[in-house]
Amino acid sequence: MISMLAAQSLSVMRSGQEVLKDVSFSIKQGEIHALLGGNGAGKSTTLLTFLGFLAPASGNVHVQGRDVSENVSAARQAIAYLPEAATLYGHLSAYENLHYFLSLAGTDTGRKALDDALDRVALQPEARNMRMETYSKGMRQKVAIALAILRDTPILLLDEPTSGLDPVAIDEFNRLARDLAEAGRTILLVTHDVYGACHVADRIDLLQNGVLVGAFDRPAGMDRIDTEAVHVAFAQHAGA
Amino acid sequence: MSNVLSIAREESRLWLRSRLALFALLIFAVLLAAVSIATSLRMSEEHRERSEQQALAEETFLSQPDRHPHRMVHYGHYVFRTPPPLAMIDPGVDSVTGQSIFLEGHRQNTAMFADARAGADLGGFEGLTAALVYQLFVPLLLIAIGHGVFIREREENTLAPLLAQGVTGNELYAGKWIALAGVTLALLLPLAIVSAAAVVRGETLLASFGVIGLYALYLFVWCGLILLVSAMVRSRALSLGILALFWLASALIVPRMAVESAVSAMPAPGKIETDLRMQAELREVGDGHNAGAPQFMQLRANLLVQYDVERVEDLPVNFRGVVSEVAEADVTEVMNRFAEERMEFEVRQARFAESFGWLSPVVAVSAGSRALSGTDLATHHRFLREAEDVRFDFVQGLNRVHAEQLAYNDDINRSLNEEANRRTRMSAENWNVLDEFSFQPAAADERLARAGTPLGMLSAWLLLLTAGGVGAARRMQP
Repeated sequence: MISMLAAQSLSVMRSGQEVLKDVSFSIKQGEIHALLGGNGAGKSTTLLTFLGFLAPASGNVHVQGRDVSENVSAARQAIAYLPEAATLYGHLSAYENLHYFLSLAGTDTGRKALDDALDRVALQPEARNMRMETYSKGMRQKVAIALAILRDTPILLLDEPTSGLDPVAIDEFNRLARDLAEAGRTILLVTHDVYGACHVADRIDLLQNGVLVGAFDRPAGMDRIDTEAVHVAFAQHAGA
Repeated sequence: MSNVLSIAREESRLWLRSRLALFALLIFAVLLAAVSIATSLRMSEEHRERSEQQALAEETFLSQPDRHPHRMVHYGHYVFRTPPPLAMIDPGVDSVTGQSIFLEGHRQNTAMFADARAGADLGGFEGLTAALVYQLFVPLLLIAIGHGVFIREREENTLAPLLAQGVTGNELYAGKWIALAGVTLALLLPLAIVSAAAVVRGETLLASFGVIGLYALYLFVWCGLILLVSAMVRSRALSLGILALFWLASALIVPRMAVESAVSAMPAPGKIETDLRMQAELREVGDGHNAGAPQFMQLRANLLVQYDVERVEDLPVNFRGVVSEVAEADVTEVMNRFAEERMEFEVRQARFAESFGWLSPVVAVSAGSRALSGTDLATHHRFLREAEDVRFDFVQGLNRVHAEQLAYNDDINRSLNEEANRRTRMSAENWNVLDEFSFQPAAADERLARAGTPLGMLSAWLLLLTAGGVGAARRMQP
């Protein structure tokens, strides 16, 4: 089975600093893979490299088996990306934002599909026609998640997707992510939320200063990864 | 293409929903409309007044009673330069070169200025023309609304989602360009209306479209610059600072530098020195009032031989009239040579100053605007030449009357008594030697040709800035 996302001996330089060092992992279809790490660990850099916004200094990244550097637009076509602290356009409503971004991606979506996606992220119907500059951070994040869902791509790259969400919304997001994975979509999410990652991910890679320092798989028959073990490893490497 | 249009539409929607941008647009629309109307009214009034004065001057000349023809040579006549229809947009050199000339024998007078009434009526507001607003202030509006066009996408974290949808840097650039160009075209509407009014007043469509095209090109240059800077820098303050500095240099510093450099590089010979040189040459030609001057002895001898007579009194023509005619031709040749030298010098200075259009699009557009509107230095020089043709023709016409219709003996004895004097008065019908004068702008294709270099400069600016902007947008990363 071809990996949907794969990094092989990936190193990336930013502003003269090596922010990813010899990172390798691969993700299969329908899998939720979490990159866990502190600030500056290289998590977002990994996502930007899969999108072709950053070029590897060495190694390579593949999307659906194809080297990203050889066909960036194909990679972006296959990926829905939720950036960290996505705000979208404040002067537009949720509907207008979704319609605009989806039209840019060439995804023809009707109002019903938009409502379905916004229902799934639990955005109140009365807010959907309001300008997003009046939204809270959590509401904006919900619209951004809805956009990622609506792209209907096989792969989702989510950067801190639960940032700004309240606990109920986080649980709803985790359920949504699992539903999407069960429907065959591959998710790579980056987070520093240990608890959330353990509950939603099939596998967690622990990233510290650009280096993969640990990996945790969800045991067969279990509904989550051992939070305590990840916590210990995270704290140990963070303190190192 | 659909992505480009979507981006353009979205950018326009942002400006329409932003009260600040909308307010700024409204203020400029009102300013443009007010200035366009004020300039149009002023130049229409100038056109009407000067046309009336021209007709009055001709009527006054033609209504003079029977007189000695040489008195009519010195009575003189006025010609007026009526402003062309497109002066409603750009009065150009109109206000600094004088609009009328007094024509008389043996002299080339300089153009005179109109009274200050028109300016006083507008409380000094007359200096603000539609051309000036488009050249200086519309770019400021474009800077105000466009300086953050790419930076905003970074600052609001929307660049990454945009690019992640598969939008390319080129599409993003083209979309933003179309949006800013759309604002530019909307701002050109008052100009289009005034140009249409100029067509109604007799201007050609080619010249009117030329002016609109020139200003569109000029403002597109600013769009290109704004997009380039916005794509290259990462903070709105820096972008605004760079663009404001460029505006300052382009609109105020370089034009001043252009004039100063032209004056320094080609210092004009002093007026007194030139006048003295010309007077020296004119003295050699001889005074046409003095038929006995040594300069005309050869002429006298030639005429006596030609008509096979012994004395000038026996010539079939009035020797004094012939002397006046010959002297006027010689004097005019000297004066024209000096005038052409001066005009050639002014043209070289103006060309030197206009070459600064490679450094400042404002210099380029102002030169092109004057040329297309028919209010440039070349037009003024043509006015001077046409006025001189009128002067020479009517003076020589009167000299011919003097030579052919007035008897020499009557002429030299006119001071003896009233009857003698009466015999030297020629019929007023002879004053019809004066041609009607109506100054018209040059043909549109000729004006377009004169605007060729400024148009080339602006095209080069646009190409360069667009290439830079496309390159910067292509490298754009979140």
